[in-house]
Amino acid sequence: MKASEKKAKEISKKAQEKQKTILESLKNHGAKIYEDLENGQFPKFSIPSRSVGNIVYDKKLRQYILGNSTALRSAKNSAQLRSFTQLMWLAFFANRLTQEKKSSTLRDVYYSSQAFAIEFDDQSESDNIIVDLEAVTSRPREDFHIFPEERSSIFGDLNIEYTIPGYEGKTMNLSNHPDGYSIGPSLTTAELVDTSAEIVIAIEKGGLFTRFVEEQVDKKFKSIIINTGGQAPRSTRTLLKRLHDEMGLPVIILTDGDVYGEHIAMVIKSGSANAAHLRELTVPDAKWVGVWATDIEKYKLPTIPMTESDIKRCYDLQKDPRYESGIWKKELEVFLRLKRKAELEAFAKYGLTNITDKYLPQKLELAKSL
Amino acid sequence: MSSIKEKFNQISPSEFFYSNRDLAGFSNPTRSLYTAVREFVENALDACDQKGILPDVHLTIKAVDPDKPDPKPYILTVKDNGPGVDTKHIPLAFGTVLYGSKFGLKQARGMFGLGATMAILYGQITTNKPVIVKSSTDGKIQDQFEILLDIQKNKPVIQKHTTKEISKKGLSVSICLEGDYSKAGNKIRDYVYETSLITPYATITFDDPKGQKFHHPRFVKEIPPPPTIIRPHPHGIDVERIRRMIVESQFEIPTIDDVMIEKVRKDLGLSKQNLSFTAIMTKAKKKWKNLSRQVRVVIALLSFLKMDFEKLSKIRIEDLDVPNKKLHYWDFGDSQSKTVDMDPESQYYKQLTNTVQGEPLTTFLTKRFQRVGPTTAVKFAEFAKFKPEKRMGTLTNQELVNLSDSLQKFDDFMAPDSSCLAPLGESPLEKGIKKFFNPDFVAVVQRPASAYSGFPFIVEMGIAYGGDIKSGGPHVYRYANRIPLLYDEGSDVVLKVVNDTDWGRYKVKGEPPFIIVSHICSTRIPYKTAGKENVADRQEIERELRLALQFLSRKLAAFMSKKGQAEMAKKRANLYAKYIPMIAEFCTELAGKKKEPNYKKILDELEPVEVKSEEKPVEEEKPIESK
Repeated sequence: MKASEKKAKEISKKAQEKQKTILESLKNHGAKIYEDLENGQFPKFSIPSRSVGNIVYDKKLRQYILGNSTALRSAKNSAQLRSFTQLMWLAFFANRLTQEKKSSTLRDVYYSSQAFAIEFDDQSESDNIIVDLEAVTSRPREDFHIFPEERSSIFGDLNIEYTIPGYEGKTMNLSNHPDGYSIGPSLTTAELVDTSAEIVIAIEKGGLFTRFVEEQVDKKFKSIIINTGGQAPRSTRTLLKRLHDEMGLPVIILTDGDVYGEHIAMVIKSGSANAAHLRELTVPDAKWVGVWATDIEKYKLPTIPMTESDIKRCYDLQKDPRYESGIWKKELEVFLRLKRKAELEAFAKYGLTNITDKYLPQKLELAKSL
Repeated sequence: MSSIKEKFNQISPSEFFYSNRDLAGFSNPTRSLYTAVREFVENALDACDQKGILPDVHLTIKAVDPDKPDPKPYILTVKDNGPGVDTKHIPLAFGTVLYGSKFGLKQARGMFGLGATMAILYGQITTNKPVIVKSSTDGKIQDQFEILLDIQKNKPVIQKHTTKEISKKGLSVSICLEGDYSKAGNKIRDYVYETSLITPYATITFDDPKGQKFHHPRFVKEIPPPPTIIRPHPHGIDVERIRRMIVESQFEIPTIDDVMIEKVRKDLGLSKQNLSFTAIMTKAKKKWKNLSRQVRVVIALLSFLKMDFEKLSKIRIEDLDVPNKKLHYWDFGDSQSKTVDMDPESQYYKQLTNTVQGEPLTTFLTKRFQRVGPTTAVKFAEFAKFKPEKRMGTLTNQELVNLSDSLQKFDDFMAPDSSCLAPLGESPLEKGIKKFFNPDFVAVVQRPASAYSGFPFIVEMGIAYGGDIKSGGPHVYRYANRIPLLYDEGSDVVLKVVNDTDWGRYKVKGEPPFIIVSHICSTRIPYKTAGKENVADRQEIERELRLALQFLSRKLAAFMSKKGQAEMAKKRANLYAKYIPMIAEFCTELAGKKKEPNYKKILDELEPVEVKSEEKPVEEEKPIESK
C-alpha cells in the first residue's frame, strides 16, 4: 500500500514535471516574441522546414525526421502575418489548456479560435497550425492537451492512474469493460501502473477487436488488445510506445492482408513523413505479423482483386527506404505478383474462431523469431 | 453674265437650304434646338477668339408657353462680349444665307454665317418670328434689329431698327424656334459642359427652360494663340481649286469702255486733254511706275493699236492671239474686224502676255502655296514634266489634271504649315481635366503637327483616372476644332482607336473610372457626315491618335502599378494594425507578463507608407505628367 502510494506520488510528480517543462517551453517562446515587440522589432522565430525536401529517413532512429533546414517566420512578412498570429494564438490557447489541464479536440481548436477573432478558413488550416506548433516546440499536440477525435480503443489487464483534473489518483483496470476503453485524453495522459500482460496486440479493425475480447485473447495469450481503427491515431501510437517503453511489452501488429495494412504496421513501427517533426511516436521494435501476402497463399484465404490505387500504392511504397529490405520488401513484391488482397475477416471461411485458435498462435510463435 | 451670277447667289442658297435643312442638322425639333444652340455658341466663341477677347457667353432657352407639351416654340438667346457686328453688315449677316467673314484657310469652329443663318431660317419657318439682333461694336451705342429673311430673294427684311446707349460691347442673337427641350435637354447640357472643358478660358452660362442655371466660369486666363491664315498646301488641292487660283492670278483684258478710258486719262493726269497717240505714250512711259495694272494693259494695247483716246472709244478688242502675235478688234466706225501685228520684242508685248497667260508655273507655286520654295518648284516641274516657265494661263484641261495629280504625288513638299491651327495646349487641357474630374491621375499630350491630304492637323489628348470619374470607363470626350462631338459615336475614328486598345496591358481592369479627352484640330476635319458628329478614319489621323493614346496609356500603366503598390502597402499596413496587437496580447499572457509590450513603435514606423499611398498619388505623379 505504501509502495503504491509512493508510486502514485511519483507518478503525479512526473506528470507535473512534464507539464512544467511544456509550460516553460511555451513561456520561453512567448517571451522571445514579447521581447522583440518591446524592442520595436518585428517578432520572428525559426521553424524546422516541413517541406518534402527536408524530410529524411534516419536509419539509426528508424524513422523519418526533419533535416537541418529551417524557415524563418517573421511578422514583418505580410504574407506570413496571418499564420504567425494564428500560431501565436494557438500557443496562447495551448498554454491555457495545459495550465487548466483541459483537453480539446482539433475541431474544438478550430471553433475556439473564433472567440479571439482569429480566422481559420477551415479546420485543415487550423490543423496545419497545430502541426506548426508541434514543429516549433518539438512536442506532439497531445502534450498541449489537443487530441484528435477518438476512434481507437484498448482492452486488457492494465492498471492506470488518471492525471486529469477531477480524476487525479483514481485508478482503473482496463479489462473491466468488454467493449474496451477508448484511447482518449484521460487515458493518454494517465500513468501506466502495472499489468500482467506480456504482449500488446494491435489490430486494425474494430470487428476483430471485439472477437479477440470475446475469445479472451487477453487471457489466453496474456495480452493487451488495441484497436487502431485503421491508421493508428497519434494518441494510440503514443500509448503503444509507452506500453513498450514503460511496461517493457513487445508489440505485434495484425492488419488486413493488403498494402494499406502493411503500411499501418509500418507507421506504428517507424512513424509517418507527416510527423517527421516529432519523436516518441514510434515503436521501432513493433512487429507486423500479418496478414502477409504470403499468408494469402499459405492459408488459401479468399481474396479480392487489388484496385488500381492499391497497385499504385505498392509502387509508391517501393520507393520508401523502409521498404527496401526484409519482409517489407518481400511482401510488397508478393502483393504485386498476386494482385489480390485478403481481409482479416477472410479467416471466417474456416470458422469464426479460426483466426484466434489457429492463425494467431502461429503468428505469436513466429513473432518471437522475427 | 453678271446679272445671272447675282441671281444665282442670292436666291438659290436660301431656297437650297430651306429644302435641304436636314443636311445642316435641322431634321426635327430635338436635333434642331441642339444644332441652333451649337451654331450660336460657336459663333460667339469664334468671334471672341478672333479678337483675342476672353469670352463670356450666356445662353438662354425659354419656352414661349411653358405649359404646352413638347415640341413647342422656344426663345433661344445667345449673348457674348465679342466685337459685335457693324451696323451696316447686320442685315446681310443675319438676313441672307452665305454671307460671312470666315473665309480663308485657318482653323475655326465653323464657317461663319452658314449654320447660324440656317438656325435663323429654321426659326422663321417654324414660328414665323423675326431674329432679334442686338450689337454694339464700340460699347456705347447698341443697334437692335428685327429681321425676317426673304427666302426666295435671299434678302433681309428689316422689321424694326432702333439704337440705344449701352455700356458693353458684344452681340446678342435671339430667335424663336420650334424645339423639344425635354428630349434635347440632356445633349444641350452635355454640350455646354463639354464645351467649357475644351474652352477653359471662356465663361459659359446656361439658363435652361426649367429655371436651372448651369454656370461654368473660366479657370484659365490666357487665350491660346490665335491661328494665322495661310496659303494652301500642294497636297490639299484639286483641279477645281487650281483653276480658281489661276483665275485669281490672271488678269482679264479689261473692257475698254468710256469709264475705263476716263480712268486712264485721270491716271495719266490728262483729264480733259485730248493728246495724240505719241504724246499719250510719252506721258505713259513717264508715269509707268505709278500706273495700275489695268491702266498698264490699256496702254500696252494702245501701243499696238496706235490710236488716241477718241479712236479707242470706237473699237472693241475681240481677241489677243498671243501665239500668233496678233491683236484682233472690231471697229465700230466702219463696222469691220481688223487685225494688227504685235512686236514680240516690245516691252508692251510682255505686259500683255503676262496678263493673258498668267504667271509661270514656278512663280505660281512659290507665290500661291505654302512651303514651296524656288528650288522645290523647279524640282516639281521636272517631276511633273512641265517647263518651269510654263504659263499657267496656257494650260489645257488635260494639263491641269496632270498638274493636279502630280501635286498630290510629289513627295518632296515640306509638311503643311501648322501655324493655321489653334490647339488648346497641354497646360489648359490638363487644368480643365483636373477641374472637371478632380482625378487621381492625369496626363496630357500634344502630338506634333501632321497632315492628311495636305491639310495640317494636330491631335491633343488627355487621360485621367479616379477622383470624381464614374466607373465603367473609358468614357471618351471627343472634340474637333474645340467643338464637342456628341452624336454618332459608333463610327468615329477616336472610338475605334480607343476600342482597339487592350486596356489589360496597361493594368486597367474591370470597370475602371477613367476618361479620355481627344481633340483633333485641323483646317479641315474629315467628318463622315454633314452633321459634323464623327470623324472619318483617315490613316494619318488614326496613326496620330494611336500614338497619343499609347503614350498616355503607358503613363497610366505606370500610375496604375504605383497605385497597385500603394494599395498593397495600405493593405499591408492594415494587416499589421490588425494582427500585431493580437500577437502582443497573446505573447503577453504566454510570457507571463502583465503589461503588453510597446508594439506602437512598429506600427508608427509603418505609418508613412500609409500616408503616402492615401494622400500623395496625385502629387507624386506630377513630375511625370507635366512635361
